[in-house]
Amino acid sequence: GDRVIDVGSEWRTFSNDKATKDPSRVGDTQNPLLSDGDLSTMIGKGTGAASFDEFGNSKYQNRRTMSSSDRAMLNAFKEITNMADRINLPRNIVDRTNNLFKQVYEQKSLKGRSNDAIASACLYIACRQEGVPRTFKEICAVSRISKKEIGRCFKLILKALETSVDLITTGDFMSRFCSNLGLPKQVQMAATHIARKAVELDLVPGRSPISVAAAAIYMASQASAEKRTQKEIGDIAGVADVTIRQSYRLIYPRAPDLFPADFKFDTPVDKLPQL
Amino acid sequence: MDADSDVALDILITNVVCVFRTRCHLNLRKIALEGANVIYKRDVGKVLMKLRKPRITATIWSSGKVICTGATSEEEAKFGARRLARSLQKLGFQVIFTDFKVVNVLAVCNMPFEIRLPEFTKKNRPHASYEPELHPAVCYRMKTLRATLQIFSTGSITVTGPNVKAVATAVEQIYPFVFESRK
Repeated sequence: GDRVIDVGSEWRTFSNDKATKDPSRVGDTQNPLLSDGDLSTMIGKGTGAASFDEFGNSKYQNRRTMSSSDRAMLNAFKEITNMADRINLPRNIVDRTNNLFKQVYEQKSLKGRSNDAIASACLYIACRQEGVPRTFKEICAVSRISKKEIGRCFKLILKALETSVDLITTGDFMSRFCSNLGLPKQVQMAATHIARKAVELDLVPGRSPISVAAAAIYMASQASAEKRTQKEIGDIAGVADVTIRQSYRLIYPRAPDLFPADFKFDTPVDKLPQL
Repeated sequence: MDADSDVALDILITNVVCVFRTRCHLNLRKIALEGANVIYKRDVGKVLMKLRKPRITATIWSSGKVICTGATSEEEAKFGARRLARSLQKLGFQVIFTDFKVVNVLAVCNMPFEIRLPEFTKKNRPHASYEPELHPAVCYRMKTLRATLQIFSTGSITVTGPNVKAVATAVEQIYPFVFESRK
């Protein structure tokens, strides 16, 4: 009959058998979605003794240049994964970041900018889009790029991709800051309530939500048994302690209105520190 | 909407930037040695000349291109540029005053009310961008006028545009939007 090419696997693979080595796979599983089409071959490291020449160097050194067109992109993906790893970001954010980076890279409108800067900005945008924003300072901490440059790239990327992001709110950061400070759930909920109320009553116009959140955490922690100093909070939030002082002074007069109704005061409202 | 179309707001022009050409090569060294009130920046290749009468600072390149900053109106910018060209002429260069153009105008305007920035941003999505972590003002870009406005929560607005007319129009156009989000 006619020639029929069987496109199935060459060896039968049984589910339990040798889970790591799958003989019917050729090539890596790397996502062809992100890279340009990974059909190149690389020379592996070499296992036996024969792969090493006289001086101990390995023969066949070059891992042939693979997918040179997107070498920079793959490098950036590696950097993104490293950065995300440092602050324990989940895989979905990393994937989103990779997608954003790919879009920006293909557009070429930001070609002159450092790839690391674009990667950091993409990471920032991805966190925002997933509803768990990280402050610029937090992204700065895991990247070698300055906050100014990340900010610039951020604005450029939003323009290039014609997207916009939601505004940050004080509540987005409460759970992270409070758990880093080791504050109990009650204090966290109180701080969230204080910050939200302060913004609603517009006691802190023109203040960054991070500063307001930090001041709210200070007030809530000072009213509870778990007191934290301004310096500690400033350290975690990346805000200067004078900034916390300024925002605290603005919310202090209305302190009794800002606390939630069911809050148990360890230090009563009138004994709150006045700075 | 109870916003007036005739806005009786004081728009204060703080800076007018203009450029012109002298159509002749300038010897920066000579200007630096013989000119009055000059600063020679050899590493970048320019001479700064500061005038007192219209308070103007001019950056002069050897190619003959000059940028004038610090004027408070378009006419003043032209006076200052001409005065500058005259002083260069007195130093001995064959100066022809050509291609005078006002490039940028910076103006400040104060609204009588404070503004809620998050609300304003939400209503004016594609044009307005607000990043409290980076800058405390909302940056509103008007593509048609090529003007950029920085809107602060205190109600003061900084406008930059290609000429004074565009700046005035920009303020008039932004007034109703800003009025909506007032306190």
